[in-house]
Amino acid sequence: MTTRREFLTVTLAAAGGALTPRMGTAAPKAMSVARESSFIKAFDDYFAKTLLPEYEKLTGIKMSYEAVSVGGMLTRLTTIVETKSGPEIAMTAVNWPYLFDAGLVDLTDLATEIGKKLGPWHDNIHDAVVVNKKWKALPWGNIGQLEVYRTDWFKEVGVTKFPDNWEDLLAAGRLLKKKGHPFGFELGHGFGDNHGWLYPLLWSYGGREVDKDGKTVLIDSSETAKAVDFCRKFYQETMLEDVLGWTDVNNNKAYLGEQISCTNNASSILVVAKRDFPEIAKVTDHGLNPQGPKGRFHILNPVSHAIVSSAPDVGAAKAFLRWLYDDKQMSRWLASGDAYYAPFLTAYDNHPMWGPEPRYLPYKESLKTSRLHGWPGPPSPAMSESVAKYVMVDMFAKACRGDSTKDVIATAASQLKQIYKAK
Amino acid sequence: MAVGPASLARPAPVAGRPFTLRGFVEREGVFSWLMLAPGVVFLLAFVAYPFFYGIYLSLQDRRVSEPGTFVGLANFATLFQDGVFWQVTRNTFVYTIVATFLKMIGGLAMALVMNQRFRGRNLARAFLLLPFIVPTILSTVAWMWILDPTFSVINWTLLNSGLVKTNFSWLGNATLAMVSIIAVNVWRGVPFYGITLLAGLQTISPDLYEAAAIDGASTHQRFWHITLPVIKPVLIIVTMFSVIFTFSDFQLVYALTHGGPANATHLFATYAFDIGMSAGQLGSGAAVALSMLPALALLIVGLTLYLRRE
Repeated sequence: MTTRREFLTVTLAAAGGALTPRMGTAAPKAMSVARESSFIKAFDDYFAKTLLPEYEKLTGIKMSYEAVSVGGMLTRLTTIVETKSGPEIAMTAVNWPYLFDAGLVDLTDLATEIGKKLGPWHDNIHDAVVVNKKWKALPWGNIGQLEVYRTDWFKEVGVTKFPDNWEDLLAAGRLLKKKGHPFGFELGHGFGDNHGWLYPLLWSYGGREVDKDGKTVLIDSSETAKAVDFCRKFYQETMLEDVLGWTDVNNNKAYLGEQISCTNNASSILVVAKRDFPEIAKVTDHGLNPQGPKGRFHILNPVSHAIVSSAPDVGAAKAFLRWLYDDKQMSRWLASGDAYYAPFLTAYDNHPMWGPEPRYLPYKESLKTSRLHGWPGPPSPAMSESVAKYVMVDMFAKACRGDSTKDVIATAASQLKQIYKAK
Repeated sequence: MAVGPASLARPAPVAGRPFTLRGFVEREGVFSWLMLAPGVVFLLAFVAYPFFYGIYLSLQDRRVSEPGTFVGLANFATLFQDGVFWQVTRNTFVYTIVATFLKMIGGLAMALVMNQRFRGRNLARAFLLLPFIVPTILSTVAWMWILDPTFSVINWTLLNSGLVKTNFSWLGNATLAMVSIIAVNVWRGVPFYGITLLAGLQTISPDLYEAAAIDGASTHQRFWHITLPVIKPVLIIVTMFSVIFTFSDFQLVYALTHGGPANATHLFATYAFDIGMSAGQLGSGAAVALSMLPALALLIVGLTLYLRRE
């Protein structure tokens, strides 16, 4: 006869077994992937309607796709990691692997394996995804931020090649504004197109937010003052007042509405123009960010894929990523994206995806000079805080609206010292 | 002999009577708790838990995905040294005070007009409610177009009527951006005031107005001595709700300006979101959100005491 103690032991063991997550002994029935919608519908569709059904057919695992609206992925990843529920695989951007370090699975084995096959990985991507020597995400591609401009209007003022330095761009902008074709560079609280040109502008004049140690704030310098003074002049003499309040959709809208002749953006303007405004597409081209006295820079905006620690079956999630990052799949998916993503694997440096449209080539070229926000400081939660508080953006924006260079730098320095806990 | 009120509930089972579930449920004590339970559970889950969890978070150095460490009031101390936080505080007070005042005036005017008899009154009432019914984010997208410097219908009208020579930068200029978000908030909130005050107006007996008219009271006097005193409790309650909603407004500002230009329209809610969600500093973000509490609590207590006294 079973005693009460034996009955309780068996019952608890059975309940425990039922509640314990599976440890990869059998394939899971379903998995899901959360990604932020890109501006490239064909790319998103290829993933959701071609690649996921293929994997489903291959393995019998029901794959679902959660499309997160543009700009909402960071919030979604926060809820996934904090509630320990939701999709197993999630897209990350910029330095998020640092922010979510404890909530993400170590993918070093997979990254090494893929790097050997299709790599090596580009050097600058290590900053974004390798946390304490562990790969916390698999890099996918960089969404470059370059100068998008109207070739016909530039020609009207005698500029046949995109200006190579900021002063020449300013000179062209003056002429274009007089002709009724102002520039429109975002200076408001968007999430990408503001940092996309303001950090490179600062760097190209030699200004730095923080030193390599991630603690010494360097913003109060004559180099920063030169960048701020240039920005004020650039804004006042070439742009619309409204750029101070723009978020990321505004410059796309203004460019495609033929209200501005030049902006800083990803290639999505040209992609959309080709689809909806072919006449504008014919006279649109891209240029690298102009160089300043201390060089030419671009923002690093890498998109990667991570597995959250709460995934019930990490092995199955890794198997999916291994399959996805196989050239058979990766090559097709990249091609569907119209070169919107510049891959971080050297095997794709000369991929056919770069062939059909030479106007996308500068996005590949810009990778060499791309740095994360806060560079040369190391990626860190403090770096994210500085970005989230728009310290750099507001420093430039306040100068553009008329505040003195000294005041805006002093305010930024005070904020940065608090953020980086500088002495 | 004094007689107590008869209990509506079934009396407690007499000893020896068999226990039935129905009898148990119909006991006054059990039944009242059963009726209260859904509301209590809802409040505990969606109000009390987030509120106390927010306080708990605000006392921690808590980064996303990491366990927190107790830091006492350090997050608040850091905030009080943050220039942006004080700008956010000023913005929130200006936004709330101006928007609430305008909504009160507009809502009262709307209610007085809607209380008159005219053809199509019901249709007009339904249409006036539209701004309040349409999801905020949808109406805000429409406002983005209305306030866009290039495509703005307001700018187009002003330019073409010859009233101005250049476009206004509704969202790019710091002052105009604040004016714009207040205008959108007022547009959205006036129907809430209007319909609630209309309900108050409809409780006023026409006899009062008739008696006042016979006594020779003017329209102005009837408004100040009959209408306003009667609807005052409703006005205070609706103002209390409006202040709470406006003080903690998020969607409208987040979609229109995201706090820009240069923090000119950042409010408590948008700043808390940026720090908590975008920077991953959950403790500091909670501290910003909780900073709204003292002002709101004072207001609610003050208005409630005033209502009681009245």
